[in-house]
Amino acid sequence: MWRFFAAKGAQYLLVILLTVVLNFALPRMMPGSPLLFLAGEEVGFLSPEQRHQLRALHGLDEPQWRQFLAYASNLARGRLGYSFQRGRPISQMIGERLPYTLLLAGTALVLATLLGVILGAAAAWRRGSGLDLGSLGLAMLLESVPSFWLGMILIGVFASGLGWFPIFGAGTPGISPAGWPLIVDRARHLALPLATLTIATTPGVYLIMRYSMLAVLGEQYIATARAKGAPELAVLRRHAVRNALLPVATVFMLNLGFVASGATIVETVFSYPGIGRLLYEAVLSRDYPVIQGTFLMITACVIGANIVSDLLYPLIDPRVREG
Amino acid sequence: MTLLAVLGLTALFAPLLSPYDPEETVADPFQPPGRAHLLGTNDVGQDILSELIHGSRISLTVGFLAAAMAVGIGTAVGVASGFLGGWVEMVLMRAVDLVLVVPFLPLMILLAAYLGPSFWNVVIVIGILVWARPARVIRAQVLSVRRLEYVDAALALGARPTRVMLRHVLPAVLPLSLAQFILAASGSILIEAALSFLGLGDPTAKSWGSVLYYAQARSAFLSGAWVWWVLPPGLLITATTLGFALIGHSLEGLLNPRMRPGGGAS
Repeated sequence: MWRFFAAKGAQYLLVILLTVVLNFALPRMMPGSPLLFLAGEEVGFLSPEQRHQLRALHGLDEPQWRQFLAYASNLARGRLGYSFQRGRPISQMIGERLPYTLLLAGTALVLATLLGVILGAAAAWRRGSGLDLGSLGLAMLLESVPSFWLGMILIGVFASGLGWFPIFGAGTPGISPAGWPLIVDRARHLALPLATLTIATTPGVYLIMRYSMLAVLGEQYIATARAKGAPELAVLRRHAVRNALLPVATVFMLNLGFVASGATIVETVFSYPGIGRLLYEAVLSRDYPVIQGTFLMITACVIGANIVSDLLYPLIDPRVREG
Repeated sequence: MTLLAVLGLTALFAPLLSPYDPEETVADPFQPPGRAHLLGTNDVGQDILSELIHGSRISLTVGFLAAAMAVGIGTAVGVASGFLGGWVEMVLMRAVDLVLVVPFLPLMILLAAYLGPSFWNVVIVIGILVWARPARVIRAQVLSVRRLEYVDAALALGARPTRVMLRHVLPAVLPLSLAQFILAASGSILIEAALSFLGLGDPTAKSWGSVLYYAQARSAFLSGAWVWWVLPPGLLITATTLGFALIGHSLEGLLNPRMRPGGGAS
């Protein structure tokens, strides 16, 4: 068990390290002065003295490895630098946006996993039935639908067409600061982005669960369980679903990166103020430090979620506990 | 299949088929579909049908080139790690795991933001991020091919390992690479659409994604124009992606009956 965690831990550290190195190297590798990426586009209008000052400020005249150490130690202390569009600390900007993304992506992930597992298990259990073929076809279709387009269609039909939901944002400005109206308002804003992200994520889980169930249902122990007279529902719940969940757990972790990607684009479509939207805004305004900060943060979130699911994995697979 | 053939031909003969120049203002803006403009016009009066016909060129080309790149890397990595084993395999497979963990769209946005939007940058960015899955699948296939007698025979005859790898193992996995190529093309077309939708695609070319980008940027929803402006490009993307995915999966199933649909779990 400890070997498993050690290997995983080393891998995650490596991902974070690579992300940091990439963030460090990109502005310095690009043609032209790195100042353009570190301090903004006004650099062109500066006098040589001001330029020199800026170079000194960012330590650009020091050897590369010292620059990197300085950069990394700042990061370790939570200093992500400043946005050059708004002059605000990036960590603060991310802090404001992060709860929205966690709410959206977290809820979507839980919903999609539940839906995918239940539908996948049901489809495999009734293999070849209308339910199975119908849901299989639908899942294949939904896998191919671009999530941003799905979001646009939902806006077109339910928000601007029927007027059931707001078109963009996470809340109506000026609404009372507490109580039910606030919660209802937030929920109404969350509904369409959440639906989009859930619909985009469910097919992947469903397809794996269905396949894994089909494999498990062909195993000897299922036949044994039936032969000893266990009721069908008990066979389904205690023997089949439990074992079929293992590959789903693996895919669940791969899905974390996918959900983070999906959240980025869904937030953009709905102007939902999470960190994905922040990343997009930063790209539009060429705010490079913010692009880097949000990318690092998104990666860190995905790694964090990976660690949580690694810690939970022994609960469903006893072999890891013993090994 | 037929659908994809039609799309391919459309892309090939785009200038002949499209009724108007997609870059020209040919009518009043926001015209609903009519006889002169089958799919209506956009915010600056360009013919949407012509935009889509021309867009199929970019979308398909980017998809194919990126997929070719991804499967090229994937096959090389898969064959090398599966055949050579040892530390080569360990290093390469760790790299695959790394790429699979990183959230790919934010990484693409980061890379695209620095490299700047252009046709080749989009291809390269997609290519270097999609190779991990083909690499895994192909490695699994190489591992099973390696155990076959003819590989042992070649090695026993004194052929150098590199020669065996290139002459005997590689051809055995090429059909599977083809299946992976088609699947990767399906994924790449989706990703290209997403990048273009975010405004990170080639700014000088029309693709299905960039048509949607303009629809979003010009608030097509408020004018009710979305029915003919947003629906068609999305349906095209879906149909193309689905078409490639179905062909890819059935090829994969044909070549390796034990292959898991959806891959991933190993």
